[in-house]
Amino acid sequence: MTGRQGRVIHGKVDWWTVAIYVALVALGWLNLYAAVYDTTREVFDVGSRYGMQMVWIGVCFVVALVVMLVDDKFYHILAYPVWGVCLALMLATLVLSPEIKGARAWLLVGPVAIQPAEFMKFAVSLALARAMSVYGFTLGRMGDLAKVAMLVGIPVAVMFLQHDVGSAVVYASFLFMLYREGLNRWVYIVMGIVLGLFFGSFWVTDTGLLMMIIAGVAAGAGIGYGNWKAPVMYGAGVALVSVGGWLSLRYLAGMEVRFYYVLLGVAFLSIPVVAAVAWAKRLRGFWVYIVLFVASVAFVSVADVVFDHLDLHQQKRILDTLGIESDARGWGYNVNQSKIAIGSGGLVGKGFLEGTQTKFNFVPEQSTDFIFCTVGEEWGFVGSAVVLALFCALILRLVRMGERAEEPFRRIYCYCVAGIFLIHVLINIGMTVGLVPVIGIPLPFFSYGGSSLLAFTLLLVVAVRLDLGSGELAT
Amino acid sequence: MGREFARQRWLVIFVAGVFLLLVVRLFAIQIVDGSYKQAAESNALRHEVLYPPRGEVLDRNGEFIIQSREAYDLMVIPREVVKGFDTLLLCRIVDVTLPRMRSQLKRAAAYSQRRPSVVVPQLSKETKLLLDELRLPGFQTVYRTVRSYPRKIAGNLLGYVGEVNSGDLGDDYYRSGDYIGRSGIEQAYEKHLRGEKGVKINLVDVHGIVKGSYGGGMYDTLPVAGRTLTSSLDAELQAFAEELMGGKVGAVVALEPATGEILVMANGPTYDPDELVGRERNNNYARLANDQRSPLFNRAVMAAYPPGSTFKMVNGLIGLEEGVLQPHYRYECHGGYTVGNLTVGCHAHYSPVDLRQAIMTSCNAYFCYVLRNILDEAEHGGIMRGGYEHWAEHVRSFGFGRKLDSDFTSEYAGRVYGGDYYDRLYRERWNSLTVISLAIGQGELGCSPLQLANLAATIANRGHYYIPHVIKEVEGVEMDPKFREPHYADVAREHFEPIVDGMYMAAHEDGGTVKAMGYVPGLEICGKTGTAENAHRDHSVFLGFAPKDNPRIAICVYVENAGFGSSAAVPIGSLVMEKYLTDTIRRPAMVDYVKEMQIRYPHYDGEAR
Repeated sequence: MTGRQGRVIHGKVDWWTVAIYVALVALGWLNLYAAVYDTTREVFDVGSRYGMQMVWIGVCFVVALVVMLVDDKFYHILAYPVWGVCLALMLATLVLSPEIKGARAWLLVGPVAIQPAEFMKFAVSLALARAMSVYGFTLGRMGDLAKVAMLVGIPVAVMFLQHDVGSAVVYASFLFMLYREGLNRWVYIVMGIVLGLFFGSFWVTDTGLLMMIIAGVAAGAGIGYGNWKAPVMYGAGVALVSVGGWLSLRYLAGMEVRFYYVLLGVAFLSIPVVAAVAWAKRLRGFWVYIVLFVASVAFVSVADVVFDHLDLHQQKRILDTLGIESDARGWGYNVNQSKIAIGSGGLVGKGFLEGTQTKFNFVPEQSTDFIFCTVGEEWGFVGSAVVLALFCALILRLVRMGERAEEPFRRIYCYCVAGIFLIHVLINIGMTVGLVPVIGIPLPFFSYGGSSLLAFTLLLVVAVRLDLGSGELAT
Repeated sequence: MGREFARQRWLVIFVAGVFLLLVVRLFAIQIVDGSYKQAAESNALRHEVLYPPRGEVLDRNGEFIIQSREAYDLMVIPREVVKGFDTLLLCRIVDVTLPRMRSQLKRAAAYSQRRPSVVVPQLSKETKLLLDELRLPGFQTVYRTVRSYPRKIAGNLLGYVGEVNSGDLGDDYYRSGDYIGRSGIEQAYEKHLRGEKGVKINLVDVHGIVKGSYGGGMYDTLPVAGRTLTSSLDAELQAFAEELMGGKVGAVVALEPATGEILVMANGPTYDPDELVGRERNNNYARLANDQRSPLFNRAVMAAYPPGSTFKMVNGLIGLEEGVLQPHYRYECHGGYTVGNLTVGCHAHYSPVDLRQAIMTSCNAYFCYVLRNILDEAEHGGIMRGGYEHWAEHVRSFGFGRKLDSDFTSEYAGRVYGGDYYDRLYRERWNSLTVISLAIGQGELGCSPLQLANLAATIANRGHYYIPHVIKEVEGVEMDPKFREPHYADVAREHFEPIVDGMYMAAHEDGGTVKAMGYVPGLEICGKTGTAENAHRDHSVFLGFAPKDNPRIAICVYVENAGFGSSAAVPIGSLVMEKYLTDTIRRPAMVDYVKEMQIRYPHYDGEAR
């Protein structure tokens, strides 16, 4: 594509990525050691979690070596079979697996439990790269889009059946790659609005939210038609009429009406007026904004009303099914303890093995989902920032590898991997600091677990391997 | 191509935005908001207080008056108590009734869920070991010390310790269940006696189980024992004085004139200080507090008594200092002092008398002349224009009408009014005759036995005193220099000689008020009796020192409602001085006489008059 110096680097391993990978794995292991560290134990215990993790790291290095030695054509050829095998494993899991923490996601192979869902991400990435790199593929065509939906949707459906919602959420990460490959902007705009309204309804009052919706739609229309005067005048008009109406209702008619309803009424009454003006000015597509406004208000109200009219235990059940709340000791206990642990780290932290909150089990799931607490507590802001910087560098490195690839297969695969890392870091660290609802997904290379370590290693090393090669892959 | 480049750029911006958001959030909770650090500490750190033994008190001869003995308090941390433990078993071990235990636990929960509260105080080591074996979650035993009193003396002067109340918690040192000195020395020297608490910071896990020492014990401190105090009291003498005061209401205060050290401070009635220790403490306290004779009240420093005739020396000294009196001045006395229809009565003695004889015989009339001369003295413009104030200033220089600033926290300031008081009382129509009672230590005067003993010491020293104090040494601390500075009365040294002579004569010559009951050969006692009028039977007062030259002891004995000064106060005073100076008692009959003395206190004991 860009024609910059990119392609000359081909034929060389991207050592930056390898270095970041090694650094993250090393830090991850040290951190896991600190998290499960127990003064009463032997210095090194293979049976312990950090011991097991060390074994897995060894396995990963071997796998990485093998991956690098295999001809990159194989990944292209094996994309669909791998997808199929992984899906079969997941289906097998559904039948064979015991229930662990409410989910049937583990497959017991001798002494080790593996989680096929972790490898499914790798399989879907390969399969998507293969499907979308076919000559003539466009995301605009329904048939092609359906292929993508099928490759992603079937595993997600199985995960829902496994009650493993956390892993399913990760598949939203492919939107990262799809944007690069030209998926319609509107998908992202609508999603952004829905997510914004969803979180907004938790954070701001209904009146504030309504104001934001009006302002947002007006601003959107202003940008869309390249006219800033009209939306400003519209906004000022609505504000003036609403405040005036509210005051006169209150002091002249003596009616106590919440400002929210006045504003809502004025906004709705303004629709025919604005529509008439738009008609007169022959503005095309104006209905989009009206629909957007009505849909937003309806979405917020319905969500609110429905949610509020449920009993507390029903609300919790919904949140539980959504995978938002999984702790038994009350809403927010985990997150609060996690924030305490991270917050108490301060600038430089308490030092290696000195963390009191993680060491004495105040943070639940501290060696898996809440592993970042140990980083925050023992290494402080500086250490946390370093870890974040490493992840950020890794993701940008993957984007760069994708961009310098000559073929769509390599690029699409790299973007898939970048997206997967991004969503894992965002959700995992975001939940430990209370930014994102609690969704149980691992932090790559840090959380305890062989399957996830191996899966992330595979994802990354295959990207490096694809970046290294330059031969024709697609037909 | 350009379009793709734009999309790639947006994605990079998006990635950067996500990481920026996370970094900002981390910055906010790790650096901006400090509350998480505290939350983490309250999560994981358990501060275990190590109590120091409270300081002990020795008498001037190195004998223990207060000792500290080990005891254990049973504490509870309500939030860690596991529901459904065997309450009955616990009650049996600590010997407490079930309702009492329940109410204690409720009280503890109301105070704090996280902080320990005392459930049962002062358990023996055996009980502690039993409890330790039981290992009830949420319960622990804590080392404390309790007081014990080998001599069982000086209860109301030593004071007692009690559990802190909500008012004391304003001081950061104290926590619920701690002990604090409540009165007497225990209160005055609280800061020295309490020592410094140590702390052991333990790490606990989420279940509250101790996992080790925080920072390897780097932040732990050891308790520092309270300082040992050396009292100026003579325990032997104190015990003797208390014995003599048995059955009587009043006080004995003896000082060492050269230092102001209190040798004896015996109150009647008193109590066994051990009664206010241990588990019967509350019952005993209630009984003592309800006793009409107020055994908890340290009369020696807190009572307001009329000084009676012991005050005549003060008037004589002021008269000499002012030049309105010469030792050889003689005044007639035929049964009293009479002006118009006012008469201040006097008892039978020869007449006329000079100053020395007036003191010896305790002539009322003589000091009426003296006081009027002082008050009406023209130099100070007569009584209405400063004469009275001038007199009152002199009186205060002896330590009357103000606190002596001793080491007792609840000292009585005494009463010596200014002229404005009489102006108000008599609507400015008063003269030296109106206040003539002051001449003989009656009227509007109030002083404590300590102030009177201080007067004895001032006369013994011929004009100066040292602030009386009961603690002469605090281990490892410089004594307050205020106790080493002499305070001078506004009377020149030479004027004391005739007064001392008069007091000497009182104890040595026939007709002297002290001689009959207070003459001890070789002791060179100087003394003055007082018979203080009050609403009931007269108080018996004695003030004296010995020997005459280089006195070693100055004393005041005040026995309420015992009649003449010579009947009760003189025998007690002379016996105490005799014992102190010679270490023996050569008058056992006098001891028996004092001990067998029956004084009735109908107004205290609620009998019909």
